[in-house]
Amino acid sequence: MKKKHLQEDASVQGSVFLRLLKYAAPYWWQMALCLLFVLGITALEIYRPMLTGEAIDLFAKSADFSEIADIAVIYGVVLVLLFVFNFLNTWILQLTGQTIIYNIRQELFAHIHKLSMRYFDITPVGRIVTRVTNDVEALNDMYTQILVRLIKNVAKIVGLAIIMLRLNVRLALLAFCLLPLVIFLTVVFKRISKTTYRIVRTKLTALNTYLSEHISGMKVIQIFSREHEKDMEFKNRARDMYHASYREMMVFAIFRPLMYILSVVALCIILGAGGYTVLEGTISYGVLYMFTNYISSFFEPIQELAEQFSTLQSAMASAEKIFTILDEEPMVMNPEHPVELGEIRGKIEFDHVWFAYSGEDWVLRDVSFTIEPGQSVAFVGATGAGKSSILNLIGRYYDVQKGRITIDGVDIREMSTDELRSAIGQVQQDVFVFTGDVKSNIRLKNDSITDEEVKEAARYVNADSFIEQLEHAYEEEVTERGATFSAGQRQLLSFARTLAYDPSILVLDEATANIDTETELLIQEALQKLMEGRTTIMVAHRLSTIQHADKIMVMHKGKLRESGTHQELLNMDGIYKKLYELQLKGANS
Amino acid sequence: MKRTAVKKKGRKNNKMKKKEKKPFPKRILHYLGRHKWAYLGGIITLFVVDYLNLYIPEFTGYIADGLLYETMDWNGVLHYVVLIFLVAIGLMTGRFFWRYFIFGSCRKIECEIREDLFSHLTGLSMDFYNTHKTGDLMAYFTNDLTAVRSAVGMAVISTFDAVIMTIMVLIKMILHVNLELTVLAVIPLLVILFGGISYGRAMKRRYEDKLQAFSRLSDEVQESISGIRVIKAFVQERQELKSFAKANKNNKDMNMRVVKLHAIVMPLLDVLIGFASVITLLYGGYLVVEGEISGGQFVAFNQYIGMLVWPMIAVGDSINTFSQGMASMSRIQSIFDAQPEIKDTEKTDNSIEKLEGGIAISGLNFRYKEALPEVLSDISVRVPKGSTLAILGRTGSGKTTMANLLLHMYNVEDGMISFDGRDINEIPLGVLREQIAYVPQDNFLFSDTLQTNIAFGVRKFRELPQKKVKHKLFLSKKESLDAYMEQELAERESVADRVYDDLGEVQEAAKMACIHENIMDFPKQYSTMVGERGVTISGGQKQRSSIARALMKDAPILILDDSLSAVDTDTEENILRNLKENRKGKTTIIIAHRISTIQNADHILVLDEGKMAEYGTHEELIEKDGIYARLYEKQQLEQQLETTV
Repeated sequence: MKKKHLQEDASVQGSVFLRLLKYAAPYWWQMALCLLFVLGITALEIYRPMLTGEAIDLFAKSADFSEIADIAVIYGVVLVLLFVFNFLNTWILQLTGQTIIYNIRQELFAHIHKLSMRYFDITPVGRIVTRVTNDVEALNDMYTQILVRLIKNVAKIVGLAIIMLRLNVRLALLAFCLLPLVIFLTVVFKRISKTTYRIVRTKLTALNTYLSEHISGMKVIQIFSREHEKDMEFKNRARDMYHASYREMMVFAIFRPLMYILSVVALCIILGAGGYTVLEGTISYGVLYMFTNYISSFFEPIQELAEQFSTLQSAMASAEKIFTILDEEPMVMNPEHPVELGEIRGKIEFDHVWFAYSGEDWVLRDVSFTIEPGQSVAFVGATGAGKSSILNLIGRYYDVQKGRITIDGVDIREMSTDELRSAIGQVQQDVFVFTGDVKSNIRLKNDSITDEEVKEAARYVNADSFIEQLEHAYEEEVTERGATFSAGQRQLLSFARTLAYDPSILVLDEATANIDTETELLIQEALQKLMEGRTTIMVAHRLSTIQHADKIMVMHKGKLRESGTHQELLNMDGIYKKLYELQLKGANS
Repeated sequence: MKRTAVKKKGRKNNKMKKKEKKPFPKRILHYLGRHKWAYLGGIITLFVVDYLNLYIPEFTGYIADGLLYETMDWNGVLHYVVLIFLVAIGLMTGRFFWRYFIFGSCRKIECEIREDLFSHLTGLSMDFYNTHKTGDLMAYFTNDLTAVRSAVGMAVISTFDAVIMTIMVLIKMILHVNLELTVLAVIPLLVILFGGISYGRAMKRRYEDKLQAFSRLSDEVQESISGIRVIKAFVQERQELKSFAKANKNNKDMNMRVVKLHAIVMPLLDVLIGFASVITLLYGGYLVVEGEISGGQFVAFNQYIGMLVWPMIAVGDSINTFSQGMASMSRIQSIFDAQPEIKDTEKTDNSIEKLEGGIAISGLNFRYKEALPEVLSDISVRVPKGSTLAILGRTGSGKTTMANLLLHMYNVEDGMISFDGRDINEIPLGVLREQIAYVPQDNFLFSDTLQTNIAFGVRKFRELPQKKVKHKLFLSKKESLDAYMEQELAERESVADRVYDDLGEVQEAAKMACIHENIMDFPKQYSTMVGERGVTISGGQKQRSSIARALMKDAPILILDDSLSAVDTDTEENILRNLKENRKGKTTIIIAHRISTIQNADHILVLDEGKMAEYGTHEELIEKDGIYARLYEKQQLEQQLETTV
């Protein structure tokens, strides 16, 4: 059972790996070129000690200096070649890797923006950001280092083994004797250090979580005067963390020297046995010198391989997370052949609409109504009555479960969402302000809207009065998500934003926040202008806004309970009347 | 266009930072001093190791000579092989010990600074926390602490090792082999040394640019996802993608700038080292041919060159690490230098050990800062011992500020607040807060068991028995490690609850706060973890747990700061009844929005924009037909609406 599980894991990893390779496929020739370079580099690196060895042999023969000089020249050439190969290899590889990373990031970002609102409701922003930034970054190593280094190390191990065997079989086999021990120690060390490292990481994370929790809860600690207790508790945890970290240090303090002594043992064996062979006359001292050199560079690739496998694993983990997002299907799909409406007049109809964000928790139950072009309709009701959901549905941020919504007689599911949403101007309750300047907050990232148009829009909705008062007016940098603006100012800003895009339908979720009377007047006036000639649907809180609507719809617990004009509804003496009185009280107190 | 402007500004700032030199953080000496013997031991072993290290090339050189000129038999070779092995054993032990001494100490120092820093933070007042965000404070514990650790660990070793090794190797090269050869061969290495330092600087700059580009990329994503509603509503997806492409491209370019430098310098380094070998080969070869030095000396010399490479690189590195570490230490020191604004002063009368519960506020004015407007002005209320005062008002009317002032979270002038006739500034801070039980608005609970959370205010520090944990060394699968860590944590928590053995009192408090039954419904009951690792506790349950926490203190004064907002009216009624029964003769202050919560209070204070708008009993205020009366009617209506189906 467990084994089967493991196999599945392996196959999942395999498919992730293949998928990652696909991104590299368009750059296969760069990759192939780098591979050649790497093989060249490996060969040259193996060649270097040979040259010194040969030179040393020449000493014994007390040859003349010119032969040594020849070797030095060759050595110089090798150096230059190494430089060129190494440089080109790193350069091409990194450029390719970075391009692949760029592509993946671009694809991921585009895909995320295609996903439906539901996805953003349930996924924390931080997680999405990590996927696009850190997780993609983790793949960089995999393309630029691991793939090629894996090959390089294997090539180096094989190359060295062959060369050593060719130089002297006996010495080579003796050197290989230590190999199992090296591999064993490397693997053991790898595993232990990984465990201790993980424990330290986990403890550190726990300690930091504790810290940040207690720093944010410092007020409670002080109010309950528990400073001493928490202080001691933290000391205990910090000590615990110290012990874990101490253990990690000890693991390294023991293993590193052990690995060192192993390499010296190898050297001693080679020197001892090699010395014997030299005395026998089978090989020259130069060859022994090469051997001592090779033996020390023989162990490195093995240790590096162990390192690379764990990096590969973490890259795979990141890749899996990225692919999970890429495999996420948007819930709201664009139709394949959207109906083109051209000019949208703005007739909106809800036809027995049932809607729930999840499962059967109905937010809207069998809601039907018609709004004529140019009409303005206000939805009122207590919190949770389903008003905001109606606004969300018109722009098709969610799909309804039963019934249908039509605009100018066409089901919105048959229209392209881009066309639909372009026709609708949305003003949200909490106005989201982007980093940038005032201007860019009105035109967003659409450069086809000119500065003049931006100012025109702002002027029309009364936003210019406060903007002009800013030190840099339209160029004023917005800080901290617009925290320096009041709620009313943000609302005006979003009116200007909406107007700049000139929609035929206006969807408005009125802000509930307290707005000073002066701004309130400006907003009311702007709203009137904005509503002119547009079908307007709004969730309204202010009495003035409600009363000016052509029609008022009263929502209560997911159902449309009452509708009519202000006066008609008051006469009905139902929910609206109560709501109205409530508003009245709220406005006065 | 704008981007480059920002970048330039960033650079300028960096330069400015460099100019204003921070004073050397003296505090680090205090920590180093505590471990001076360990450091001394470490440095001495380092010295021994470096010295021993010199013998390996020398011995291999002897072997080379013996073999090259056939002056040595196999026994002679073995003699030196054994010597090499013995030296290596010495090296191994030495390497273990310097790691043990120095890395051990630097981790200990890290731990000590961490402890001291937290301890200092617990003493700082609210005004400090208002200006320092948690995230910023966390940076001191994470990035800065790590930088300091590297500086007192790795950098210390690198510096000493590099310097000692270089000097000794050079001496050996000159004495054992040849002066001229040494001078010639060292030239390329000097290039590495000086090149390395300027490379480090250039790399640091490029690296910072890279980080900046990356954080700009993060910001771009963050913004775009947070503003996804606007983007979708205005059909800006394509524009977003375009703008993201710019940030993405910038990130790629900045990465490439780092890579380019790296791609040139690293192979160049190799070439320079190679040059030293070529020089050795040429001039050394010449010397051998001339008979000035032997082949063995040539072999040894080659190895000495190899030993010099690392220190040349290390010097540049450790200078960097050290300066970063000291900059971080300065930052940490600035926290240590912050002093609590609120503390016991010479005015404090330490003979006060208890409060009776009478509160008098007279002519209270308060503003958070000089430049800011008054949050409370001219408030005067008397709350006799055993009575209940309710405070009502809109958000921002100053209710919570009043609670904060009673708890002495901010300073007020003499004579404005007094308890039992003693001025608040005379009462020791610890006593005051011991004697007031407070239920805060935000119901902050700690990630701990419910029992620990409720008993939070009464548990005095006790040394918990440390269970000997068996350390596991092999946990290859991540899941088994997680399970192991989870178990370890769970044990720690249950130990506390067992040692304090206060379940009875906790349950009593929980019953009063009407949370007992909910808790008993949880599978782990009072051992249920709050927070991420436990079950999700609703806002109302949290609120009531927070009430239980305050009630358990059984203090003469209780302040409920809007603490019944998330419970339904029936439960609210129950809790209020329990309070009335159990808190006879004790003072209670209730801050609320709902009339139902407060209508039975002895007195009601209505705050409006920091001023006393209305004051009196429920009946009196209804009579008055002011803010209170209107709010009352409104809530009545809301209730009616709620019951409409």
